[in-house]
Amino acid sequence: MELTSSLGLIAPEILLSVAGLFLLLVAAWAGDRASSAISIAACVVLGAAFFLVAPSVCAGAAGLETVAFGGQFRADAFAGFAKLMIYAAAGAALVVAPAFFTRYAAMRAEYPVLVLFGTLGMSIMVSATDLLTLYIGLEMQSLAAYVLAAFLRPDQRSAEAGLKYFVLGALASGILLFGASLLYGFTGTTQFELMRVAMAGPISTGTLFGIVFVLAGLAFKISAVPFHMWTPDVYEGAPTPVTQFFATAPKVAAIALTARVALDAFGTHADAWRQVVIFAALASIVVGALGAIGQTNIKRLLAYSSINNVGFILIGLAAATPQGASAMLVYLVIYVAMSVGSFVAVLMLRDEDGAPVERLADLAGLSRTKPALAFCLAAMMFSLAGIPPLFGFWGKFVVFQAAVQADLVALAAIGIAASVIGAFYYIKVVKVMYFDEAVNVVRDRSDWAHWALLIISTALMSPLGYLLTGPLSVLADRAAASLFFLV
Amino acid sequence: MIEIIVFAPLLAAIVAGLGNRGLGNTVAKVVTTGALFLSCALSWPIFLGFLGGTAEPGVVPVLHWVQSGSLSFDWSLRVDTLTAIMLVVITSVSALVHLYSWGYMDEDPDQPRFFAYLSLFTFAMLMLVTANNLVQMFFGWEGVGLASYLLIGFWFRKPTANAAAIKAFVVNRVGDLGFMLGIFGLFLVFGTVSIPEILVAAPTAAGSSITFLGMRLSTLDILCFLLFIGAMGKSAQLGLHVWLPDAMEGPTPVSALIHAATMVTAGVFMVCRLSPLFELAPVASTIVTIIGAATCLFAATVGTTQWDIKRVIAYSTCSQLGYMFFAAGVGAYGAAMFHLFTHAFFKALLFLGAGSVIHAMHHEQDMRYYGNLRKEIPITFWAMMAGTLAITGVGILDVFGFAGFYSKDAILEAAYASGSEAGRTAFWLGAFAALLTSFYSWRLMFLTFWGRPRWALSEHIQHAVHHGHDDPDEANPPRQENSDMGEPHHVPSPDKGDGTAGYHPHESPWVMLIPLLILSVGAVFAGFVFHHQFIDSAAFWNGSIAYDEHLIHAMHDVPLWVKLTATIVMLVGLFIAWLGYLRDTSIPGKFADQLGPIYRFVYNKWYFDELYRLIFIRPAFWFGRQFWHAVDVGFIDRFGPNGVAELVDKGAYAAKRLQSGYLYSYALIMLLGLVAATSWFMVR
Amino acid sequence: MIGIEHYIVVSSILFVLGVLGIFLNRKNVIVILMAIELILLSVNINFVAFSAFLNDLVGQVFAMLVLTVAAGEAAIGLAILVIYYRSRGTIAVDDANRMKG
Repeated sequence: MELTSSLGLIAPEILLSVAGLFLLLVAAWAGDRASSAISIAACVVLGAAFFLVAPSVCAGAAGLETVAFGGQFRADAFAGFAKLMIYAAAGAALVVAPAFFTRYAAMRAEYPVLVLFGTLGMSIMVSATDLLTLYIGLEMQSLAAYVLAAFLRPDQRSAEAGLKYFVLGALASGILLFGASLLYGFTGTTQFELMRVAMAGPISTGTLFGIVFVLAGLAFKISAVPFHMWTPDVYEGAPTPVTQFFATAPKVAAIALTARVALDAFGTHADAWRQVVIFAALASIVVGALGAIGQTNIKRLLAYSSINNVGFILIGLAAATPQGASAMLVYLVIYVAMSVGSFVAVLMLRDEDGAPVERLADLAGLSRTKPALAFCLAAMMFSLAGIPPLFGFWGKFVVFQAAVQADLVALAAIGIAASVIGAFYYIKVVKVMYFDEAVNVVRDRSDWAHWALLIISTALMSPLGYLLTGPLSVLADRAAASLFFLV
Repeated sequence: MIEIIVFAPLLAAIVAGLGNRGLGNTVAKVVTTGALFLSCALSWPIFLGFLGGTAEPGVVPVLHWVQSGSLSFDWSLRVDTLTAIMLVVITSVSALVHLYSWGYMDEDPDQPRFFAYLSLFTFAMLMLVTANNLVQMFFGWEGVGLASYLLIGFWFRKPTANAAAIKAFVVNRVGDLGFMLGIFGLFLVFGTVSIPEILVAAPTAAGSSITFLGMRLSTLDILCFLLFIGAMGKSAQLGLHVWLPDAMEGPTPVSALIHAATMVTAGVFMVCRLSPLFELAPVASTIVTIIGAATCLFAATVGTTQWDIKRVIAYSTCSQLGYMFFAAGVGAYGAAMFHLFTHAFFKALLFLGAGSVIHAMHHEQDMRYYGNLRKEIPITFWAMMAGTLAITGVGILDVFGFAGFYSKDAILEAAYASGSEAGRTAFWLGAFAALLTSFYSWRLMFLTFWGRPRWALSEHIQHAVHHGHDDPDEANPPRQENSDMGEPHHVPSPDKGDGTAGYHPHESPWVMLIPLLILSVGAVFAGFVFHHQFIDSAAFWNGSIAYDEHLIHAMHDVPLWVKLTATIVMLVGLFIAWLGYLRDTSIPGKFADQLGPIYRFVYNKWYFDELYRLIFIRPAFWFGRQFWHAVDVGFIDRFGPNGVAELVDKGAYAAKRLQSGYLYSYALIMLLGLVAATSWFMVR
Repeated sequence: MIGIEHYIVVSSILFVLGVLGIFLNRKNVIVILMAIELILLSVNINFVAFSAFLNDLVGQVFAMLVLTVAAGEAAIGLAILVIYYRSRGTIAVDDANRMKG
């Protein structure tokens, strides 16, 4: 009985894993000829998983009936909300890939399979309520990601990105794992609920180390300062569709996981970790903004931009309230849409020979050669900078509102001030596109999938996005409430 | 009806201003001029109604304007005798000036803008005179200031015009500050800004005192003095007069409308409107008298030495405004308004006539290059003659006189009859100023219309002769000869050929001459027709100004020599002018040489500009520079925008350096972060 | 008597050694892979020791999982290293700085 209901709750994960294994077999058998078919199949699978999760999100599932396998896994609305974003982002990463890899004859059948396994790992991460599940999900996602980073094998930068990501990622999971072992030893359990109970009252040094180490390992995954160092290099070196994937789905998963660990397992000691989170938030905002200023590579710039955005999301975490968690989710939705739009726009840039263009200087005069593309990218940049009336403003607004409601007025004020620095480089991109003389011809490959994604994300970021604020906040509030539901 | 009078010019201004060049010159001209003639046609019946005693004063509400605490007032249009007089003056002169500008501005490329400004000005002026509360009056006050600024600087490519516009604006701000303080003070004392309510409550405040700038002063005196400072700025009284001569940089029709007939008289109007208040403030009234008389004399002296035809008339305006003020100061508000009324006609006439002369002489404004224009432009000559006869006050007692004869006489008689020390002083100063008025007016006439042609040395004329008459370069802007051209002995000798340089002045077109003729009629008959009502009839004023019966009686009982003074000094001035500028033209030069220092003092306008430059402008610039360098650049910029930008720049460099690309340094930073977090937790 | 503290000390020493191995070593990426294994080993010692100490099986299960994942991680790490070596012809840590700034 318990097993049956548990299996029902993990239906999306079962679907993903079975489909992943099956497609892996197909890939091994049919080879790269079948890559496009496998891509389509993977997209279908992601879509099916999406619709499996959607009802629980809409219903705001919470409580005991969402708990599976004796407290190791929870399929509540919070996890569901994150999963929807992850599946959508993974789907986007699949859709944009063929046009990019075909040029290098590198559209291999493993790509969609790896994306599927990575997605499975993330799906497990956001539902994990046990250190064991957490570790499995994390490693599944990471191992797929290491391979994806080095996917463009002939490219030296891709290999270097894979190497750096692997070494630093392994170090981070080592730290996390060490912390997990300490937590296990000093609380006697690996389940978040029980850990929370065991931690009530004063905590021992060992537990403290455990908390810090686990949070540090998670901070690496969300690339919060000072564990962000890998991000610019990996984002730059990885193939652009993979970078887009990294910037969206794993971010969502890691942030959702961090929120669950911090608010659930360590929830009774929010005052202890809040200061560290605040520091990481502000440091991320500032370092992300400062680092981006000197960049000449668009992907690298967007990497710093994602560090900067993570800082804003952490402000929502620092609030440690349902509003804060809800604000994080809303911000994540907007962030994912903005990132997809930006990276798709970058993907669409090609020089005369069809080689991808990544330098900022290559954007010069884009407003004249490709006005529609330039307009969409400009909308993304203004939205990332948080300039009203674009939708990016709303994300920052809800986060700061949550901080203020949690009496973190100083944090909100500093965050707002620091976001001004960020505006500088976003608007610099617009300046280059609209006011600089064109140096070389940029032509985009008018791939319909690219255009469709770009138009969707631009429409979302346009003032039209504000039509969504109502349903979005209702769903996010329900999801956040389910996170705070104690069994 | 009054709504149409007031808002038709506004509508026309909006249409012409927004339509601008899209609308075309003709449409803009027709719309604005048509609106003004409509207003004018509707204004005269109102005035005649008050003249015949059939019209009753009233207030037409437009909308509720402000409701804030105890401050509450409507936007409304007040019509009484005082307003009716101003209505006909403003709409008539404005309509004629609009018409005149058809000809005068014919070659200008920005005509819709010009006409829009003119109509906007008219609207603001009407707003001012129909105000029933001080805030609305202040709105009109500032509105005319804005329009004046825009019109002085109409030829904005001319640096001198821009400088003059800024000067007018800044000097007027000084006056406006006083006016504002006055309004605030009135609100403080009476709790309202409604003019009728203030005037009703004023007697209760008489005798009370108030602490102002640490001094214990009579409440009403200080309030009236503050209001008068506003009037001084707007009406160019001594001290705040410096902007008016420079304002002649604007097109001549503007000078006629704004800087002669209407806007500059707003101060007089305001004092008359609040006359019951001034009646209760003897000290302030004395100050008004003295300042008015001093301005009257000062401006007249300067007027005798200027060479620029428009500047002569500008100083004349300044001087005539002085007359109005000292009339108001001694309590003869009716006489002040009467002079305002007649002055509007003859001074507008003189300015428009001067414009016609300038037009004929190809934008030459220096009278030294005129001469013998009588025969070349006869209609302009006769119109100017009518204006001169009016301003100098030619007339025979109890028979007939030109406009100025009645009004100036009334003012001098009132000053004498008031009996006060200040009044007597004002009388003598005014009488001497009347002599100077006669002198400079006839000097202008003789230099311009009599004598031999001296056109040959004028750059403008030479340019015209050599380049053909309708050279498009000349259309905009006309270059003005500066008044500091030099001493009068530089006047070219008349022996040089016939002095015409082959130039043939041409009479102005009829659109310019018709306004001249209409205003001539006003200049000739306005005094004769209206002087009984304005001076002697309390029923005509109907309570719209403070009317002192005793003063009027005293005026009629002054000795005969007082009544004849104005005529006598007029004749003396005429004789001196004839002597110096017709009979023996060497006399003025000798005179100026012998009285060198005094001549230079007067010629340089008593060095007011230089004085202000020394005590206000240079210190202000110095302060400005100090704040700019030390505070703005040195502190705010350095630590504000620039400092932050530099910090960001350095931060970006540091972030770039930190991202070394080496695995082990990345790992090290992660470890350091971990250690820092752990230690923070441990020590916490 | 060997108590739980001794196990923790040993595992901590191993962990620190592993960590130091990552950023003190500037020559060879293979050494880094070994250092990572060392970290995972220290974790396993912890888990097993705690499991015995707490009389709780979860720790040992966790250790088995870690072992499994470590194997996968090592495989993938070596695979990436091979790719890297093929494209760059070196596995020196110092050379992996094509991207920086």
